[in-house]
Parts: sequence; C-alpha cells; structure tokens
Amino acid sequence: MSEQAGPTQSRLLRGVHRTVTGLHPALESMLAALIGLLVGAALMYMWGFNPWRAYWALLRGAYGGSYEWASTLARATPLILTALTFSVCVRAGMFNIGAEGQMFMGAMAAICVALFKMPPGIHLIVGLLFALIAGAAWSIVPAVLKITRGVSEVISTIMFNWIARWLALYIAIFILVDPSRAEKTLTIPVSARFPILVRGTDFSYSFFLAVFAALVLYFVLWHTTMGYEVRAAGLNPTAARYGGIRNKRTMIVSFLLGGITAGLAGATVVMGMPPSYAAFGGGAFPELTNIGFDGMAVAMVGRNHPIGIIVASVLFGGLNAGGRVMQFYGSNPVPLEMVRIVMGAIVLAMSIPELIRLFPAIKSQGERLVAALRRHGRPASKEGSA
Amino acid sequence: MNANDAPANARASDGYFLRAENITKVYSDGTVALREATLEIHPREIVGLLGENGAGKTTLTKILSGLLPPTSGRVTSPKGVVRFQSPREALDFGIGMVHQHFALVGTFTATENVALSHERPFARIRLDQARERLDSLMKESGLHVPLDVPVEKLAVGEQQRVEILKVLSRNVQLLILDEPTSVLTPLEVDELFLLLRRLRDAGTSIILITHKLKEVQSVTDRIVVLRHGELVGDVKTSTATTERLAQLMVGRAVEGESTAVELSAEQLPRAGARSKIGSSGERILHVADLVAKGNTGDVAVDRLSFDVHAGEIFGIAGVEGNGQSELVECLTGLRRAVSGIATIKGTDILGKDPREIYRLGVAHIPEDRWRLGLVLPFTLAENAILGVHRWKEFRGPFSFLRWGRINRHVRELMDRFEIQATGPNAPAKSLSGGNQQKLIVGRELAKNPAIVVASQPTRGLDIGAAKYIRDLLVEMRNNGRAILLVSADLDEVLALVDRLAIMYEGRFMTECAPTDLNRQQIGMLMGGVERKEVV
Repeated sequence: MSEQAGPTQSRLLRGVHRTVTGLHPALESMLAALIGLLVGAALMYMWGFNPWRAYWALLRGAYGGSYEWASTLARATPLILTALTFSVCVRAGMFNIGAEGQMFMGAMAAICVALFKMPPGIHLIVGLLFALIAGAAWSIVPAVLKITRGVSEVISTIMFNWIARWLALYIAIFILVDPSRAEKTLTIPVSARFPILVRGTDFSYSFFLAVFAALVLYFVLWHTTMGYEVRAAGLNPTAARYGGIRNKRTMIVSFLLGGITAGLAGATVVMGMPPSYAAFGGGAFPELTNIGFDGMAVAMVGRNHPIGIIVASVLFGGLNAGGRVMQFYGSNPVPLEMVRIVMGAIVLAMSIPELIRLFPAIKSQGERLVAALRRHGRPASKEGSA
Repeated sequence: MNANDAPANARASDGYFLRAENITKVYSDGTVALREATLEIHPREIVGLLGENGAGKTTLTKILSGLLPPTSGRVTSPKGVVRFQSPREALDFGIGMVHQHFALVGTFTATENVALSHERPFARIRLDQARERLDSLMKESGLHVPLDVPVEKLAVGEQQRVEILKVLSRNVQLLILDEPTSVLTPLEVDELFLLLRRLRDAGTSIILITHKLKEVQSVTDRIVVLRHGELVGDVKTSTATTERLAQLMVGRAVEGESTAVELSAEQLPRAGARSKIGSSGERILHVADLVAKGNTGDVAVDRLSFDVHAGEIFGIAGVEGNGQSELVECLTGLRRAVSGIATIKGTDILGKDPREIYRLGVAHIPEDRWRLGLVLPFTLAENAILGVHRWKEFRGPFSFLRWGRINRHVRELMDRFEIQATGPNAPAKSLSGGNQQKLIVGRELAKNPAIVVASQPTRGLDIGAAKYIRDLLVEMRNNGRAILLVSADLDEVLALVDRLAIMYEGRFMTECAPTDLNRQQIGMLMGGVERKEVV
C-alpha cells in the first residue's frame, strides 16, 4: 500500500460516505431513481438497444403531452392508494404485504354494483363503500390474528393475497360473470363509474380520489391524536404504552386504514376505466395484477410519506405508461419488460444509502477476516474447511 | 493543561501501558469534544476520569478503546503507535470498555452474551466453556448474575454486572468503566471497588469515568479532570482535596465542602423544614398486600403495604433488582399485579391501563428514558405531549392536534425547565441526556399531578441537571403533591425524602424517617440484614 495515496484516498472516501449518508430522504429517492435508469440503460446497451432513443421514447410517452400525462396519472392512481396501504402500516411498525389481496377484494366488491340499479353518483358512492368495506374486512383478519395469536402479519398477509387472488378468480368466473361473455365479469354501468377526464384515455376523476386519500392520510397521521398514536407505537411501542397508547388499537387502526385504501385502489381500476371495461377473469386480471406489490415500491421511493407517494407514483405511472410507447418506437424497439427491470433496479437502489451506512462495518469486518486468516495461516484454514 | 496541577506521572520510568498524545476530536457536526488531550495510563493504577456531562470523558475513552478515531493526535504503547479499527481489536490488545448504555443482546442469556463476545469467524461457540469461566469469574469477583435468563429480563443493575463480566472474561489489561456506579447501590459500589482494587493489584489498569467526587476519591490512585474537552487537571488522589477537584471540574469556585458532593447544601434547610409537613396530608396512594411477579416468573414484589400522602416524599432505596421496577410498573399500569390492593385517592388502579391511571393525577418519570420515556425519533413537541396528547388542551374537534397550542406549551416547558434545544421541532435524540430528562420531568410535572412516581430520576445526569431535578421534586412536595421516589442513589434519597423505606427482595426491610438510621445501618438493611439485628 502506498503511504502517500492512503490518507487522501480514505479522506475522499470518507467524504463521499458522509455526503451520501447525510442526504435528505427526497434526494436519496431521486438518486435511486437515477441509478435505476442507469442500470436499465446499461442493460439496453448490452443487448444492442439504443438507451437514449428508448428513454426519449419513454419520456415522451410518459410526460410528452396531455394525452401522455393522462395515461401516466391514470396508472399512478391505484398505485397511490396501495402505496398508502403499505406506508400507513410501516408508520405503525408493521409490514402489510397484503395490499394486493385487499385490492382484489375491493375490486370484486365494486363490481357487485353491476347487479343492481341506482341513480348516478349514489351508485358510484355505494360501489366505493362496498370496495372499502371489502378491503378493510380482508385486512382485519391478519390484524386480529396478530393481536390475538401473535401471527406475523408478513406471513398472514402474503397467504391472504393468494386466497384473495383465487377467490377473485372464482367470483369472476362463477358469480359476477357476464352471461354473454364468459371470460369477463359484469360491466359496471356508467352510473357507477368515475367520469373520464381526458377523452380517449383511462384518466378519470378517480385520480382526485387517490390524491384526496393521500391528503386525508397525511392529516390523520400528523394532525390527529389517532395518527400520533399510530406513529408513536410504530417508532417505540414501549414508550407508546407508557404514554397511555393502546398498541393493539393502533395496529387495528393502521390495518383498517390500509385495507380501506387498498380496497379503493381496486375500485378505482374497475370503476375508473372507460365504460366498456370489465375485469378480465379469463386473462387473470391484467389490469389489477401487481398493483398491490408495485404500491410497496412506490411507498419505498415515496419514503412512506403521503406527499412523497404522490410524487413517486407519477414516476412509476410514467414508467408504465411510457414503457408502452417505448416498445413501439423506432426500428429496434425495447420490450416492455425493460420497464420492470428499471423499476426493480430503482427499488434495489433505494437500499444503497443504507448499505453505504453499513459500509465501514463491512469493510472492517472484511479486513479483520483477512487479517485473522493471515495471522493464523494454517489453523484458520483448517477451521474454515471443517 | 493547568500548570498548578503537575502531572502525577512520577512513575513514568516504570513504563506505561498506553499514552494518548495531543488527542483532538471534532465531530462531524462541528462539536469539539476534545482539545489536545494528553494522558498516560500505567499498569497497576486506577485512574479516575472526572468531569461534568459533555466534558469529553466518554469521547476520550471511546478513542482509547477503538470505538472512535481521533481527528488528530495518536495513541501509543511501548511497542509503538496503536490504531484500533474496532472495539474487538482494542479488546485483543487488552482494552475493554463497559459502557453506560449496555451492548448486550437482549434475547440472549448472560452466558450466551459472554460467549458471543469471544466469537471468532468460523469458530465454534462453546457455551459450556463460557459458563465454566463465568462461574469461576463470578466466584472470584463476587459479582453475581443469573446465567440462564435472557438479559432483557434482568434489572439494569444486573445487566451492568453482565457487561463487566463480559469484559473481565477477556483478561483485559485496561478496563474502562463509564459511570459504572450510577446504577449500583452503596453495597454494590463497595463490592465493585473491592473488585477494582483486586484487579489493580493483579496488574490491570482501570479508568473509571464518573462525576461523583466521593467515589473517585475513595478508589482511584490518580484523578484526571476534564472540562469542556480540555484536560485541566492530572493529580494524585492522595493530594487532591474535594474542593480542589470540584473547582477543577466545574471551573468555578464552589463554596462549602458539601456542595461538591451530590448532597447539595441548599437542600439541607428544606430537609429540616419537612418535619412540619410530615405525613399529615391527605392519603393519595394506598398500597396493601401487593404481590407482583418479575419477568422471570418469580415473585418480585412480596406483599408490600405502604401509603404516600400529599406533601411528602416517600423514598424507596435499595439495591436495584429487588422489585422496585416491578412495583413502579404495577402502580403505573405497565405490569399486572398478581394480588393486593392499590388505590389512588380511593380509586382502584390495579388492572387499569396507563391512560386511566394518568387521569387520576399520576405523573410517571420512568427509570429508562430511552426505552420508556421518549420516542427518540419524535420531535421535542411530539414528545412533550406523550401521554397528554388526548387532553382537551391539545385536541380540537375531530381529534385534530392543536399544534399551535402544543408548540406554545413546549416553549413554556423549555423556558420553565431550562431545556436546551433548537426549538420544538428538534428531534428528541439530538438532545443531551440531561435535557432529555428535563423534557420528561417537565412533561410529567406540567400535568399538575396529585402524585409523582419518580424512578431513578437523576441517573446518569451531571451535577447541575441532577440538582435541578431534585429541586423540582422538592418544590412539588412543598406545593402539596405526593411523591414516590425510587432511587439507587442513597445520597439523593437521604437528602430528599421525608419517609424512607428500604427494599430487599420484594419487601420493605424498614420504613422510617431518614434520620433514624446511619449509612452503615442502611447499607446493612439493603444487603438483607433484618432490622432488629441492625439496631
């Protein structure tokens, strides 16, 4: 090792380390998005695509005009709601992976309004009520299991996702099926639909419902005693108990709030699409699948803050919307899957600041291991092989 | 360095174990924790590191034990410059540190924690060997801990003993103890000091970080005083007077010798006045035949009965781990009692949750401010309403929090209780320990309670903050509140209380006026000697 380079190098490294670990959370998220896009570009380049053209197409397809913005925001709408599901539970100190299943139940409940007639508007509100009750009911079971039996909410919500998925398929095929088209569910009548905002797109008034939900949750979490209790219990359950907060109650509250937003997410899809739309059970719900899981990614990038989630959902909605354009653009179009790779890379990049925070520990561990192995040459290698 | 205090390194020719040369430490936020500190540690000596909170004691020892790199300066041993990348490397070199906040795996037993500290990459953990070694070590040192109980279920004092055993089991040559006595009672302190002397005679160097003058004078050979990051004194214990040390430490002349010790002179007149108030006030807390179990399932509180009246401080002294924590938890709704009666102003409190108990006018200053008292990532304002967040004062229609009023309330608390912070939105973890405790005390006293349950309210605080909090408790008493004070600091209990109980294995050994007993008798009662044998 050169004596000269050592200190300057390490000082530089330490400086970089301090810069990265001291970043504002919003900047961390932006950095992660940038890294995700760079990873995508590198992969495109390796497979012979032109990343610049592809990203240009993606950018134009996502934010290039009013039609593109409408597509982006339409895709962002359910993501906002499922991201809220995940984040409100994280704030309460729990990992609710169940947004997907709760969203499916909400969607099925919303489709039920096709079974009866009601005046416009009221019909829509009844559908939303159905959806949020179904979502909340689906999330309350894991919460009760956790409180009464100590079942880990991570496991139970994942299991409930599978139950919900196959139950939804059963409902779509045997109960809410359109008699004339067996692969689809009943079509929700226009009286129970969100009006479309930009003609020719999926962008409907449901977007405002999602933004409204985010704002409501922001106020609940930071400006009401209930939210205060949820956050206190999430950060330090013992101190919360000392402060007279009933932790079981905060768990139930956060799961209920999460179930409500997830149920609404399902409703915004089936009730927010153009009037001809019906859930496509035969194709295993292409519009619904993964909205719950993508919401978790949005929540992470949005730092579990309702306002951050709105911003992050515009990014993810844009990737989804622009990805469609990317795959039709130019002579050598980039497949849609590339967008999912970029999303995955962004989520992974989100953990970089945490990793860098751990870096000194990892480095010293490694150095010590090498030193130990070198010091006890033989005996160490004997132990290692044993 | 102060020229008047010639370094006592007369034995420099004996060779030294470790020397810190011109150590400066600047933290990344710009705080200068140490300025050009030079310190030499010899074999076979106990060095007391004296200074108020924030003087740089902990920083200096963290640098010596490899936990922190110095900004400038170096640490040398007779073999050359030493640079530790981690506490483990320092341990391999023979330097071990017992921190004020323990580094134990809560779900592991004492044996497992000790075995873990011996772990090497790819090596097998030998629990049986660790256990044998611990058994002999416990016999040798007189420190006893339950070996098969997860350490999180042990009392704080017991956990500290596990920490000391953990470091001792590594055969260290330099043992650094950060405020080791703040959780111990006199008897345990004596035992610890006996152990330290024995270790010294066996050739170990010891650094004892403390701000208690009496202790540092009773056990050390040399005293190093730090003040605001500067090493202001390095004197032989035999030549140091209490007054001189106190002066070095606080940097201002302190009049009267008792001021230097924890027992502040100003509190003595009040102690004289208290007989007038006596226990004639209204009965606030009534406890009868209370039985409670500890985390291990054994009886921790054994048929306790006592009353606390308005206008008195009822103190419970005793070695930590004798049921005090469990008693306090029962009275504040954090633990279910097995049987018995506990009422506040006639209302039964057993089986109620903390919120209902607070409503009866109970304020609780908890013993563990990081785990119980504060939500550290929360802001000052958010912490200031913990437990009172549902009060009408702070809660508007639809349960909205009235942040305007809350912030005004916090500013009042900051003024009234001298909390140093940048503002209501500063995170609680950015506050110093003393200010964190003032925040808790302020929050609880602002409840205008009928009774204050204070558990170790001054643990780990510097003299100024501790005295301030004691004065507040006395003031509350004088205003006619009932105060239940549980403390392992005997000086504190004796100076403050009107009636004293000594707790041992879940029972009161005696209940009397603090003047009825001398310290030796109290020490014996704490150690489990029956009252009739004592008197």
